[in-house]
Amino acid sequence: MREDRVLDLRGIAKSFGSARILEGVELTVGRGERHAIIGPNGAGKSTLFNLISGQFSPTSGSILLNGREIAGRPPHQINRMGLSRSFQITNIYHRLSVFENLRLGVMARHGLRFSLFRRVAALRAVNEESEALLQRIRLEDRRDRPAGDLTYSEQRALEIGMTLATAPEVILLDEPTAGMSQEETHYVIELIREVTKGKTLLVVEHDMNVVFSLCDRISVLVYGELLATGTPEEIRANRAVQEAYLGEEVA
Amino acid sequence: MARVWQLLLFVLIMAVLIGLPPLLGAGLQNAMTNMLIAALFAMAFNLLMGQGGMLSFGHAAFYGVGAFAVMHLMTAIDRGGLSFPTPLLPLAGAAAGLLVGLVTGWFATLRSGVYFALVTLALAEMLHSLAPHWEGLFGGEAGISSMRMPWGGFIFGQVIEIYYLTLIWVTLSIGLLYAYTRTPFGRLTLALRDNEERVRFMGYDAHATKMIVFAVSATFAGIAGGLLAVSNEQANYELFGTHVSAQVVLHTFVGGSTVFFGPAIGAAIFTLFAYLVSDVSRSWLLYQGVIFVLVMLYAPLGIGGVVMLHLRHWASIPWQRMVGPYAGATAATLLMAIGTVMVVEFLEALFSPHYVAQRRQAETSWPAFERFGASWEPFGILTWGPPLLLLIVGLLILLRLRHRIVALWDEVQETAETAARSGV
Repeated sequence: MREDRVLDLRGIAKSFGSARILEGVELTVGRGERHAIIGPNGAGKSTLFNLISGQFSPTSGSILLNGREIAGRPPHQINRMGLSRSFQITNIYHRLSVFENLRLGVMARHGLRFSLFRRVAALRAVNEESEALLQRIRLEDRRDRPAGDLTYSEQRALEIGMTLATAPEVILLDEPTAGMSQEETHYVIELIREVTKGKTLLVVEHDMNVVFSLCDRISVLVYGELLATGTPEEIRANRAVQEAYLGEEVA
Repeated sequence: MARVWQLLLFVLIMAVLIGLPPLLGAGLQNAMTNMLIAALFAMAFNLLMGQGGMLSFGHAAFYGVGAFAVMHLMTAIDRGGLSFPTPLLPLAGAAAGLLVGLVTGWFATLRSGVYFALVTLALAEMLHSLAPHWEGLFGGEAGISSMRMPWGGFIFGQVIEIYYLTLIWVTLSIGLLYAYTRTPFGRLTLALRDNEERVRFMGYDAHATKMIVFAVSATFAGIAGGLLAVSNEQANYELFGTHVSAQVVLHTFVGGSTVFFGPAIGAAIFTLFAYLVSDVSRSWLLYQGVIFVLVMLYAPLGIGGVVMLHLRHWASIPWQRMVGPYAGATAATLLMAIGTVMVVEFLEALFSPHYVAQRRQAETSWPAFERFGASWEPFGILTWGPPLLLLIVGLLILLRLRHRIVALWDEVQETAETAARSGV
């Protein structure tokens, strides 16, 4: 099991000035695992994601991705090492076409970062992969629309597609179903289940039904500290978790 | 179909650019050379601004550096007998632009938005205040002048020769800038404009990317500056002036930064405008400013943007009902323009030193003044009445027509949205 760790967080702490956001977070995510992070608002879930993905550096502690330290590295390096994230607030290229949004990720994976002397239309592998991804997130009929014109749930699907476009090994999804109707949530969860097959998934999510049905393991973050980690059954049965967070909802 | 039209338009424009100048005098030939140079400068600027989303207020730096590099090369050829083909002189401008662009771009692109703009502004100002004191590099206040050497059977003594040389360079450069948009990096440039954060989280080094966009833009600005030096055979520190940096911003916005050829259109029109109007009126800068403000207020997408809007919705525009209001609006705008010009020119005449002197000599305290080949009473109803009437009538017509035009465009917009929803 230990060799199968993909992501390993050790003693992670983060403060902004005198405000302590995270304290002593220890978290291990195994290969191929679907891991949820739950917790009340302000518990530090988004900050944790920002630390892992390179948005901020932790005040102390280390983050290992496949045994390599990534704490404090810039986002683009972490992404190239195989970890990609989505954003809670949709973070797409509004004026570019849906296809272009995806192709930019595929291009990055193919190392076309400073490619000034090739025609983008002639990159067969890149274009085919982008088309395939477009189909996987079921936005074929929106291919040439500006991404900003899509409906909210379509944009959320695109957000996930863009996260997948760099073909990451580890995927971080930050509240993928936030602000969605039940129907849309169902659609997106099916999509996530399908497209993350064989990958490691770390997801922040508020909808408990989603968390319990989608994930293998759950970590509960409360006031910047990790209260418990375990299978859905263990978490459901955990008294401290019930008191601190779940309350009546699950009991 | 659209392709065919584009090709036809391109052929037509090239035919005019190639065929027209020999029929013109040297003055207009020179003006056309300057139009081409301004067009390239604006296109280079817009690579950074329109495509990369980085508004530079100091692009004069690269324009000027390109010009000085060419002057030094020209001097070396002239004095030292260095053999270098004259038509390739602008390469020195490109090299200087690239080099300075890389170095300064590294710093400037550390910041975004307003801070980026301020860094670029400071950069150009630094050169502007340094150049007059640096005799060796910038020739002090007088600047550097030299002579173009004949090469390969071309004398390069006539304006028309320089015009064609410029045309070749500008066409080639704009062609390269167009090709740039078709490369993976060109696509990445657009992504950078839309959302720099996401670019970073997709595995791109945003800073390095911005630096290269900056350097490419500076390279083409350097070519434009180099062409100016080839044409003028001289360069001085004024090339680094704020007005040069401001001019290119103005050209780009009036032409339309969201359309590829927009900046070239804006630059060409304004350069021609300056050439034609500056001879006739001292107030030409004011007119230019008024046009800029009006475009920003009522057509923020610029000339190119307005044209594109019409082309995109060509089929769904109810032209039969649109032609009337458009013609009326054009006529009303013309009336207002005449009214404005009369008022401005009258005021200019009244405040001119010439008129002040006239007043001192005259027996009456407010003698009549001369304008448009006629004599006008400073307080006469016939002086101020007609222009004010033109302004008011024009304004009333415009206000009325605006409703109708807006309503018609709402219809067009609705058709487009319905089409979009049905997923066509």
